Amino acid sequence: MRPPLLVVVQRYGEGVAGGAEAHARELTRRLAPHLDIEVLTTTAQDYRTWENHFTAGIEWVDDVPVHRFPVLRPRAWDFKLYERRAFAEGHTLEDERIFVDQQGPYSPELLEYLWRRGRDVPHVLFFTYIYYPTVRGLPIVPEKAVLVPTAHAEPALLLSIYEPVFHAPRAIAFNTEEERALVHRRFRNERVPNDILGVGVDVPADRSADRFRQRFGIEGPFVLYVGRVVESKGCRELFGHWERWRRAQPERRVTLVLAGQAEMAIPRREDVRHIGIVSDEEKYDAYEACTAVAVPELLSSMSMVTLESWACGRPVISDAASPVVWGMSRRSGGGLAYRSAAEFGEIVEMLVDQPDVARTLGASGKRFVESTYTWPRIIETYLDLFAEVRMRNA
Amino acid sequence: MRILIVVQRYGADVVGGSESHARSTAMRLSLSHHVEIATTTASDFWTWASHYPAGDDEVDGLRVRRFPVASGRSPSFKEIEDRLVFGQHSLADEERWLAAQGPHCPELLEFLHREGRSYDAVLFYTYIYEPTALGLRIVPERSALISTAHDEWPLRFAPYRALFQMPRAFGFLTPEERDVVHGVFHNGHIPYEVIGVGMDAPPEDRDASYRTRFPAGPLVVYLGQVREGKGVGELLDGWTAYRDGGGRGTLALAGVQRMEIASRDDVVALGRVSDEEKWSLLACADVLVLPSRLESLGIVLLEAWQVGTPVLVPSANKVTSGQVTRSGGGWVYDDGAFAPALAGALGAGRAPGESARRWVREECSWESFDRRLGRLLELAAA
Repeated sequence: MRPPLLVVVQRYGEGVAGGAEAHARELTRRLAPHLDIEVLTTTAQDYRTWENHFTAGIEWVDDVPVHRFPVLRPRAWDFKLYERRAFAEGHTLEDERIFVDQQGPYSPELLEYLWRRGRDVPHVLFFTYIYYPTVRGLPIVPEKAVLVPTAHAEPALLLSIYEPVFHAPRAIAFNTEEERALVHRRFRNERVPNDILGVGVDVPADRSADRFRQRFGIEGPFVLYVGRVVESKGCRELFGHWERWRRAQPERRVTLVLAGQAEMAIPRREDVRHIGIVSDEEKYDAYEACTAVAVPELLSSMSMVTLESWACGRPVISDAASPVVWGMSRRSGGGLAYRSAAEFGEIVEMLVDQPDVARTLGASGKRFVESTYTWPRIIETYLDLFAEVRMRNA
Repeated sequence: MRILIVVQRYGADVVGGSESHARSTAMRLSLSHHVEIATTTASDFWTWASHYPAGDDEVDGLRVRRFPVASGRSPSFKEIEDRLVFGQHSLADEERWLAAQGPHCPELLEFLHREGRSYDAVLFYTYIYEPTALGLRIVPERSALISTAHDEWPLRFAPYRALFQMPRAFGFLTPEERDVVHGVFHNGHIPYEVIGVGMDAPPEDRDASYRTRFPAGPLVVYLGQVREGKGVGELLDGWTAYRDGGGRGTLALAGVQRMEIASRDDVVALGRVSDEEKWSLLACADVLVLPSRLESLGIVLLEAWQVGTPVLVPSANKVTSGQVTRSGGGWVYDDGAFAPALAGALGAGRAPGESARRWVREECSWESFDRRLGRLLELAAA
């Protein structure tokens, strides 16, 4: 008989966008052959409103039962107000409690079920530290809890209300070394057993640079950006650096290719190409065709694009102020980082002019991904972690 | 180091096991550290009615910050407790337990939130009340939990599940308390120190004639509250069986009487005794009996041993029987076997009491207690 596992996550299923949620589903799918899994989540699909989209009750997703509980109230329209209060200097514990309730998804029924069901289940996996189901749910079953925090440096992480989330679980599964260092600095919770697990990267073997260039009509060397084109991902800085460097080096023939939905204005220039949302095949063809991948974001617990670039053997260009992407690049030898527009330009020029350097960096990144971020290794480590939790509570 | 002690009540006139332990800890630590206390305005553990003014106070020369009790014990507390123990109930019911029990003291928690991190270590006394249950989670990285737990229903309620996973270190009063906590919470990986207690030496000048107040023959003493909950009913049944079996002697019960006792020549109810009388009585007893099944620390056993008197305790009480085993200071009886055990004890004489006197002198000296507190601080300090 497979040991039972509860997975608690704020949203789950078809049409749920979000890194942590996609991570939860992919991991659940891959753990399912080994464990008897039940997912506890809400009826929400959209994290901005938590509007009841799915039907409450049990639905099967990827052959796993998903138990959905209603969200009793949508995210407050004036949520930003509560957020400001909780983040302000001199705020109270009460401000923090209200913030977590208002942030949602507010689902007391999920907690009641977890409390009853949790008695008969040896382990519970919680995804994302920040939302109500984890903040209120983890302390109900702490000795059985494994937390996937997906934490990054943000104001919420400083709130007192998150202390139990990081001090009480039986184990923590971090995505990266950098995330672990951040959490240990903030909480001094080194005693909680932990490991770097992350997510696996599977790249298709059939990748074609030619197919990409023909489909999109792109010639010559290019730097690739993958993901939503939005300020929070560092795109404004990326564009600024690009334009400044190109003013200094107007005669170079290099293109910046942006693959992903645009949520901000994109500079109208010949050497910046926005190709919109792409399919998985097109994305991997793009990695294959590019000289390097730019990952300008500063805040993340993990960068899937970075791992995918490396899995395809391409170097990553990051901001030296980014703890995660640059930290991973330094450790893997899979990329270079800039502190200014001038340095950004020098890096691009070097990688374009010296393909050997680009290849060497990309190969280092590839070795790093293969040694750490592959599904068989990750699943094996999770199963070991669960076995340890079972043993300690036996 | 700057140390804060959090406890539900505090003061020279506050009676209670964990409260007086907290006070002696505060005084001992203040010999080498800066110590402050955060507590409530209550002095009564049942109502939690405000007794002291809120604000800064000073006790034994130490700064005591008192925060107002927003609400005391709920009038329906007993019903709530019964439902949680015996009836169908929800998670939300368990989460309401803390406030219903009192003292509900949000300002103390806000103080921890504002200033808790300015202390190197925060020692929390008694797991069961809100100041600890909701306070420790604010500063877990610099906390020690002196849980004073025994195996009781509330220990398994929802508000305590995470509490027992979070402290940086535990201070247990006895190894038996440690075993209960590890058994319920599977948290053996959290460092701990068994801190026990420290005690003043007993007074030298005792009333040597005290023994003559009782008839000749063996003198068996019980010292503590005289009530059913402390096992005094069972003691009297056992005593009757002992006498019916031909045993001789007198049973003296010293302590506030809260139950009916049938009048008989061989049982003397002394009522509450003064400190001076207590020591004289303990010293002249042939054996001290402590029949209670729920004792988190048998202080009276330690006091008996300080004057060389052996003790008799039930094996059903893991704490006191553990103490007897460790000190070698007496005997342990199984359920239903009190009479033969008492006869055996009185026949064996006071030698076990003498060896326990040496044990308690070493174990409960202030120097030993200070050393254990020091180790606890090392474990807890951030």
